[in-house]
Amino acid sequence: MVAPIYIITIPLGIAFLIGVLGKSNKNIGGMFMLIALACMSFVSAQWFISFMTSTQSPVYIYTAGFKPPFSINLLMGLNEAFFTLIINIATLLGAIYLYNNLKKQGTNAMSVFLGFAMALNVMVMTRDIFNLYVFLEIASVATAGLIILEQGLKSTSAGFKYMIATGIISSILLIGIIFAYNYSGTLNIDGLIEANIGILKGGAIAIFLILIAIVLELKPFPANGWALDVYQGADSGIGAMISAASASASLYVLYKLFAIAGESWYPVIAVLGIITFIASNLFGLKQTNSKRLLGYSSIGQIGLLITVLGLSPYLGDKFEFIAVTLLISHYLAKAILFWISGIVKAENIKNWSNLRKKPLLVALFGTAVFLLLGFPPFPSFFGKWELVMQLANSGQFAWMTAILVGSFFEGIYLFRWFGYTLKLDNKELPEYKMKLNKIIPPAIFGVAAYILGYYSGTFVDAAKGLDYIPLLFIAFIALINFLPAWVKNSISLTGVILYIAVIFPEFDGDLLRQIFAAIFLGGAVLALFAGFYSKGKRSGFHVVTLAMFAGLAMLLKADNLLEIFYAWELMTIGSYFLLIRGKKSMPHGYSYMMFSLGGSYALIFGFALAFVSFGNLDLQSLSGITIYPTLAYSLMLLGFMTKTASFGLHIWLPGAHGEAVVDIHFMASAILLKAGVFGIILVLLGMGTEASYAKYILYTLGWIGAISALIGNIAASFQESAKRLLAWSSIGQLGYIVFGLALMSHLGWMAGIFYTATHFLYKGVLFLTIGGIALKLGTPYMYRMGGLIKKMPFSFIAVLIAIITLSGIPPLVGFAGKWLFYNAIISQGLYFQGIVVLFSGIVAFLYLFRLIYSVFLGQLKDEHRNVKELPLCLLIPIYILIIAIMIISARPDFILKPIGNYLLAYFPSGALNWNGTMASTGLGYWDGYWVMIIVGVMFTLLFGWLLILNSKSKKVKQFNMVYAGEKPFRPETTHMSYNMFSGYNKALGFFMMPGVTGFWNWMSDILHDTANYFRRIYSGNGQSYAIHIIAYIIIIYLIVF
Amino acid sequence: MVRKFLIFILIASFSVIFINLYQNFKGQDKLNDLSTYYAENEPQELGAQNLVTSIVVTYRGFDTLGEVTILFLAASIIGFFLKIKESDKQKKRDLRKTSEILETASKILVPLIFLLGVYVFANGHLTPGGGFQGGAIMASGMVLLLLANPEKNVKHSLFSGIESISGFTYVILGLLGIYFAYGFLDNRVLPLGQFGNIFSAGLIPLIYTFIGLKVGSELTNIVGNLKETQKETE
Amino acid sequence: MEYISLITGFIMLMIGLWGILSQKNIIKIIIGFTIFDTAINIIIISIGYISGRTAPILDKAVPVKDAVTKIVDPIPQALVLTSIVISLGVTALMLAYALKLHKYKNTLEINKFKDLKW
Repeated sequence: MVAPIYIITIPLGIAFLIGVLGKSNKNIGGMFMLIALACMSFVSAQWFISFMTSTQSPVYIYTAGFKPPFSINLLMGLNEAFFTLIINIATLLGAIYLYNNLKKQGTNAMSVFLGFAMALNVMVMTRDIFNLYVFLEIASVATAGLIILEQGLKSTSAGFKYMIATGIISSILLIGIIFAYNYSGTLNIDGLIEANIGILKGGAIAIFLILIAIVLELKPFPANGWALDVYQGADSGIGAMISAASASASLYVLYKLFAIAGESWYPVIAVLGIITFIASNLFGLKQTNSKRLLGYSSIGQIGLLITVLGLSPYLGDKFEFIAVTLLISHYLAKAILFWISGIVKAENIKNWSNLRKKPLLVALFGTAVFLLLGFPPFPSFFGKWELVMQLANSGQFAWMTAILVGSFFEGIYLFRWFGYTLKLDNKELPEYKMKLNKIIPPAIFGVAAYILGYYSGTFVDAAKGLDYIPLLFIAFIALINFLPAWVKNSISLTGVILYIAVIFPEFDGDLLRQIFAAIFLGGAVLALFAGFYSKGKRSGFHVVTLAMFAGLAMLLKADNLLEIFYAWELMTIGSYFLLIRGKKSMPHGYSYMMFSLGGSYALIFGFALAFVSFGNLDLQSLSGITIYPTLAYSLMLLGFMTKTASFGLHIWLPGAHGEAVVDIHFMASAILLKAGVFGIILVLLGMGTEASYAKYILYTLGWIGAISALIGNIAASFQESAKRLLAWSSIGQLGYIVFGLALMSHLGWMAGIFYTATHFLYKGVLFLTIGGIALKLGTPYMYRMGGLIKKMPFSFIAVLIAIITLSGIPPLVGFAGKWLFYNAIISQGLYFQGIVVLFSGIVAFLYLFRLIYSVFLGQLKDEHRNVKELPLCLLIPIYILIIAIMIISARPDFILKPIGNYLLAYFPSGALNWNGTMASTGLGYWDGYWVMIIVGVMFTLLFGWLLILNSKSKKVKQFNMVYAGEKPFRPETTHMSYNMFSGYNKALGFFMMPGVTGFWNWMSDILHDTANYFRRIYSGNGQSYAIHIIAYIIIIYLIVF
Repeated sequence: MVRKFLIFILIASFSVIFINLYQNFKGQDKLNDLSTYYAENEPQELGAQNLVTSIVVTYRGFDTLGEVTILFLAASIIGFFLKIKESDKQKKRDLRKTSEILETASKILVPLIFLLGVYVFANGHLTPGGGFQGGAIMASGMVLLLLANPEKNVKHSLFSGIESISGFTYVILGLLGIYFAYGFLDNRVLPLGQFGNIFSAGLIPLIYTFIGLKVGSELTNIVGNLKETQKETE
Repeated sequence: MEYISLITGFIMLMIGLWGILSQKNIIKIIIGFTIFDTAINIIIISIGYISGRTAPILDKAVPVKDAVTKIVDPIPQALVLTSIVISLGVTALMLAYALKLHKYKNTLEINKFKDLKW
């Protein structure tokens, strides 16, 4: 193997040499620089691989041939190999990225870049503290030079502020070092550790000065104004280097010197880190400059890593895994983000919509955002998971909360930014070129993020059962994104069907999962089939759709809490992209993501408490949580209810669903919401009814369900948009389900699960039909529709059947659900909630009537004279669902009996009694089969009689009438469908007051105002930043001593 | 005024740290183990009469390599940071005429200063001095030349050539230590020679010579850049 | 002796810091830095001083065998050399920055360079 000293001598030698060699031809200099960096990466990689795969022991490099402390020595161990490797790869790719900038400034700049890379490597490897100081200074000087690579007022003033700050910091470090030498008589780090000078007052101060200087190098809040200016002022390629390479090196230096400091420093460092993490993510909220925002995010992430270091006593043997996964995620994501910000050249985050002109950049941006926030399949997901679990294991709940809050702040601005990128108009923005040398580095890092994500999963025991085949399939679909939609649709459909064949037998004997699998995967098939309506490429659609369905399938397959969380997050990613595809979906997709993120953090907190109670991650650990059980169950329910859009957490749904196109609307409403139901079922099964806290939780949950039902149905009645109407109606329907589950009785659960299945069927019909019509007519507003019955008879029949089912009128299956429901309510004596639910059921008639009347009845509008029936690819799924409804309506026992038997295991009492097809409870009986037959016969007879009676009647044309003495000439004048229920609106309108939305807006305003007020400490004056640094040192000194 | 007062308070409280350091400081009365080792073994091990030099160039030679790199980087950065256009370079500045005394004296003094510089770095292992000091002296000779002939431009290509080649040689000399002695930057590649002799202490004089050349040319380059960039404003 | 130079170093440190923190002119701030750096050099030297001893050069005045009892600690002296050179490089770079900043705004007031903030 190549000796590690060459990592240092090669760049140094070449840095000196290209001063002469490269003068005549700058490309020669550039090539030499790249070769040097490649050699460095090669040497580190060689050592890293050897440490990972064999029993290679760490190697010391003794300069001048003397052992320490007489001479400076360097160490190449696993840690050093890892850190030099990531630094060298970042600098190599960074140099490729910056190649033209460096070339423009000539060989001098190339030498500086090599010096920068070399200094970072020595910082990692050296075991001599004064040597560390020297190379830290080299790194600082080189950074000061790289900042002004693109010369201008901004970069120059940022660079000067940087020099003032690092000048003070390194002087403090030097004073610390010299006094440490005074007390210990050595400059060797290992010698210093042995000398244990911390017991002397003077020695303790020396250690304080050393550590505080290194901490200041890591840009802690609030002594970090200079760093923000540097991120903003310097070229983004340099920003990537500072954020990825320098920060990694400085972090390792802190880790290395920590051994000198002793245990009392752990809490100090943890507190300094978390303050930085939370504060800089909070301040980022108001930031609109992309590079400065990245600066805030970088500083925040480094703060998190410092916190992890400070909390390492609590993390046990997982510390290294957590630190490495979080570091590598930050490293990859920040480099990608800075690099693409240099390509798109948009300072304001609103102009990042320009990114959309190059889909690859959008994919990279999305990868980086999800990577930073710890979503699967990335390394940070596993890192964050282990971090939270280990902290919970040590009882550090306050730290968990703080870390999750900080991450949430980061999510707020990252997703706002990402939303801007996906949705804002970019027509006016200038064209730009994507040069090959600028796109290769971020692309490599993007791919690495996925590979490392898989790799880090193999280190987590609980993640060993994860099924990566769906993800590979998704990756394949992503690769063929350039093909037309119908090809991708067919391939996806085949894939899903094959997967169903594989996965279904796994659920044998588990009825609950079978029902949900039928909803999720059957729904997937129908949704993809409906997707054939779309023409063109539909770029990215299939990737995110399949990601969502993969998440749903994994949710069912999950054997432990980690897998549930993995699946949940994967589904969240997919559904976010689906929901934000609508034309005006930006704010709604954003609020969906915010609730999902908050919900995920609530979930992981709850899971952590379950994990600690039981000591393992099996699903059984959800039952009988002993540590803060009330909190744990409430948080988990809250987390799952973000997806069922229950009252209080529902504000994202109407907009997000209302803007989605037909098949996405179907997926989001009929399928996705059920994932939340599945989660609630898992939690409630675990919680049971016995414990004292369960009563309160269930009582609250019941009310939440009832209120959701009421609010959802009332709001649905006042919508003008058919799609929003259906969206609100979903909130109401899900409210029923939540209410039913909260009853925690045999009948209640039967009703809830039965509702879940039937809601999928009839809502599926409605979403597909109404969505298809809205797409065809180009408007979702019902007052602009009307009289479509003759144009779209099949759609009319479908909607008619669906609304009969929904409203719970016999003979169709909706009645069975309602019947079960009222039985359950009455047998438990919940009259007050029962009244609310009953009332909301009545309200449902209002919007259902409006739906069929405004759309299909009344007068046909002039512009719709040539409308045709929906395409077959929509009608076929619709009628498959209708057939299912009819079958279940005729023989509800097909599905109710197994559910009843299944539930006996959990709720032994209060089951239905079956007598053939007749079901009975203590309160009454009902036989769907005979009701169906009787109603069917009656309907046929009456219908036939009507036909005979009207066979001779005269056909009336549309305008063949006189209306209040006038002959109408426009359809609008006879079709009253705008503001249809204005009378009711006066009576019930107060329910529609946007109180919940107002509450969340108020919260958001408070956060943003706080951020805006406090970020003013970054006044822009370099001298003030120096004052911050000195004040920071004094304050920490006073706290520590 | 309020600001200055606050800064005063800040510095006063900052000084608490140093007052504490001072109170806990105890002057040494004998060498610590590390320096005792150097004092006892250096003459046999490295053979340089000047202990500081042996530490700077060999024992802690890696620091010195870093030090050289810092100067090199600073000079490089200033080189591209203050680079001016070729057209600006030819501009004449309206400067006061140099006094005759300076002009005449420079002709006599500059060679002497150069000689002194060479002496200082060549004897770095014997007497106080060394590459950095010698290089600085030589650069001061160049400054005197520039003061005497303000119209003249520094020949950057020449000096950066010297700088690059001496830096590269320094690294190569260091690498020789790995193969012909016991480690990177080991001076025992050449024989140690007679203690106190000019040709002694192995590679130390050679390394110091290159450092001296390098420092001298770097500082000259920096001064030259700082001077030339002023043409741009006029 | 070492106590006096140490306290001198600390006082100079504060003076330098005063210059850095309170002066508005960039050149004066840089002068503050040089004072600051010099102060640190003095501190380093004081740490290695042993009263009554001489420079660590083993010439005729200090025979090799008596070296241990006659010389001051050579290590801080080696360190101070490095520290001087580093501060020289940093100061030169700062001056170059000052030149450029002056070129952009025709002023050296540090609080005029607040284009980047918040």
